[in-house]
Amino acid sequence: MQLSYDYIVVGSGATGAIVANSLVEVGVNVAVLDVGVEDEQYKEIIPDKDFVSIRKEYSDQKDYFLGKQFEGIPWETAKVGSQLTPPRSFLTQLTEKLIPFESDSFKPMESMAKGGLGGGWGLGCYEFSKPELDAIGLKEPEMLRAYDAVANHIGISGIKDDGAPYCLRDLKNVQPVSELEQNLSGVFTSYNIQKNSLNKKGIFVGRSALALLTKDKDNRSAVQYRDMDFWSDKDKSAYRSWMTIDQLKEKSNFAYHKNCLVLKFKEHDSGVDVIVKRTDTNEEQIFTCKKLILSPGVLGTARIVIRSFDYKKEQLPVICNPYCYIPCLQWRMLGKEIEQKKTSLGQLVMYLDENRNNFDVGMAALFSYRSLLLFKLIKETPLNYSDARIIMQYLQSSFTIAGIHHPEKGSASKFICMKKDADTYTGDLLTGQYILSEQEIRTNEKREQKIKLALKSLGCQPLKTVYTPHGGSIHYAGTLPFNDNGQMFSIHSNGKLGGTKNVFVADGSGFNYLPAKGLTFTLMANAYNVAKNVLKND
Amino acid sequence: MENKSIYIFEAERIGNYLLGVTVQDSEKNTYADAMQKLNIQLSNYEQALWNSMIKSKSKMACIDAALALKEPNNNARRKLFTMLAIIEASPNYTSYFLSRNFSFFYIVKIGLVGMRAVCRAIVGIFIINSIKRKCN
Ligand SMILES: Cc1cc2nc3c(=O)[nH]c(=O)nc-3n(C[C@H](O)[C@H](O)[C@H](O)COP(=O)(O)OP(=O)(O)OC[C@H]3O[C@@H](n4cnc5c(N)ncnc54)[C@H](O)[C@@H]3O)c2cc1C
Repeated sequence: MQLSYDYIVVGSGATGAIVANSLVEVGVNVAVLDVGVEDEQYKEIIPDKDFVSIRKEYSDQKDYFLGKQFEGIPWETAKVGSQLTPPRSFLTQLTEKLIPFESDSFKPMESMAKGGLGGGWGLGCYEFSKPELDAIGLKEPEMLRAYDAVANHIGISGIKDDGAPYCLRDLKNVQPVSELEQNLSGVFTSYNIQKNSLNKKGIFVGRSALALLTKDKDNRSAVQYRDMDFWSDKDKSAYRSWMTIDQLKEKSNFAYHKNCLVLKFKEHDSGVDVIVKRTDTNEEQIFTCKKLILSPGVLGTARIVIRSFDYKKEQLPVICNPYCYIPCLQWRMLGKEIEQKKTSLGQLVMYLDENRNNFDVGMAALFSYRSLLLFKLIKETPLNYSDARIIMQYLQSSFTIAGIHHPEKGSASKFICMKKDADTYTGDLLTGQYILSEQEIRTNEKREQKIKLALKSLGCQPLKTVYTPHGGSIHYAGTLPFNDNGQMFSIHSNGKLGGTKNVFVADGSGFNYLPAKGLTFTLMANAYNVAKNVLKND
Repeated sequence: MENKSIYIFEAERIGNYLLGVTVQDSEKNTYADAMQKLNIQLSNYEQALWNSMIKSKSKMACIDAALALKEPNNNARRKLFTMLAIIEASPNYTSYFLSRNFSFFYIVKIGLVGMRAVCRAIVGIFIINSIKRKCN
């Protein structure tokens, strides 16, 4: 087995796949090291059909809808990660064993999968505004170029409407927007009627920009509106990071090594040693490279960096968007049949831009409910199951769910901490604390209140607000804040890890601020720039 | 084997409670398989509730309604919930779960069903309180 490469990338998720692709494109020799868990149980058994046809025709649907071990029938209070369906549960497989995280106040979701969390993301793409990029520590001109390059690679559909300043901005090569489903179309019509008064309050609603093809691209098909988005990727219309890895595997200057848990790195005169614990044999292995690019996700990078710097600093800051969701009843949809052809994606987004400066914007992605099955909704009612079934069958078409993200910055009460612990697979354990100040809680509550009022005026009656534990937004950043002074435990704006010569970080570890809008498109654009900087640095 | 026949009997009762029909063998077998795999453990109190629920459809409805309000995570309900999920994930019963166009007046039925659920909960609370007393 070849153990020496010019460039080694750690992780195959949203950022790792983009870095690897950008490097391979210019012809250099690249390897990705990854644990690389894949779904071996469900991929092949899910039919190439739409949700309603599957429900009506396939007798083995229980195998994937409920899981072969019935793991898809949730009972105890929901954990972060329990929203993943059985065919997506491989995303979090092995994490408890290989990268344990313990905390009462912070419950992040991490992945050891090929394609990382990018294998299950909701596809929402947002090009951040200049004030947002400034606050993060990223330079707008380079980012604009990178956004275009990434959009070209992954394929983004959308439209220039009132939401465009918050997501598409001037992005080129955008595919036509997907067809809007009936449930959300009522909300959108209502918005268009009342938009003048809503805009005065800082409320803007627009179609989401999604990493979803509406036209065929390479070996991927346009969306078929099968409403199976939570279960399978048959038509490959939704961009998943593993697709990039699979494409790269066909190139001679690329290698993908799975079962490799990277523990730490060690720099020497001629390059970098990468120390790996193989998850198939539990043995240690050393890879070498000229340059190492870390993209195992923010918490993964923190683990590797703390170990590599000999635990000189054990506590690092962290940022994660606070998140809650609000199920609403949309009266106009009561007792209606849901159309057969739809998606389960958040096709509409509400933005609350109180200061009209595209900064500290609150965001609510709007979804309808069907393909996660009715029994999960029935469980949430305070009624006996047989009566709840009758009522929920009637109500289901009228549920609109608003997933609210708040913008977030760091503080002394939000941190992670690495401790040695001989009982774990790697001999250490990541812990953390995430506590919002009273002021932050009040600001978020006020924002939620304004969003709820706007939802009401659009015909969506909020039923309750469900708060997920911190970590539930699955947006993490800020552990090694951007800083150009070259200090250890910080990242230079070109991506180089402070205190090293040849180690770069391509995930969100450097971000000093998190807008409420999903960060992943920006993570990928930054990863693209880091790859360019790595090459420049030669 | 003995367990399996108990589970098949439970599946029949629960299916009848949930949908008012005799569920097919395939769903009964899936329920038995689920019970074996999930290995749901009942405390003495939960077992007493379950024994009472399995006796009649109306008791099952009332106890379920009371537990939904007072102890939604009671393991006796978990058995019902598991069967509910199994029935939903079967092509034989999609008409009970998929959305359809309801007539405008169906809302009256919904109101009545809601009221029935409340009445069931009130009766159920008396039943579970008396079972609780016996168990203590
Ligand atoms: C259900 C869901 C919905 C989401 N929806 C959205 C959305 O709509 N919009 C949005 O912007 N974001 C969304 N996200 C978040 C998005 O998925 C993440 O922001 C993104 O995947 C992070 O990319 P990453 O490369 O930093 O990490 P990941 O994608 O998690 O990739 C990490 C990779 O590193 C590997 N790895 C980790 N540690 C090691 C190690 N020590 N050694 C070797 N390999 C390692 C893993 O195997 C994995 O391949 C969603 C996430 C989920 C789960």
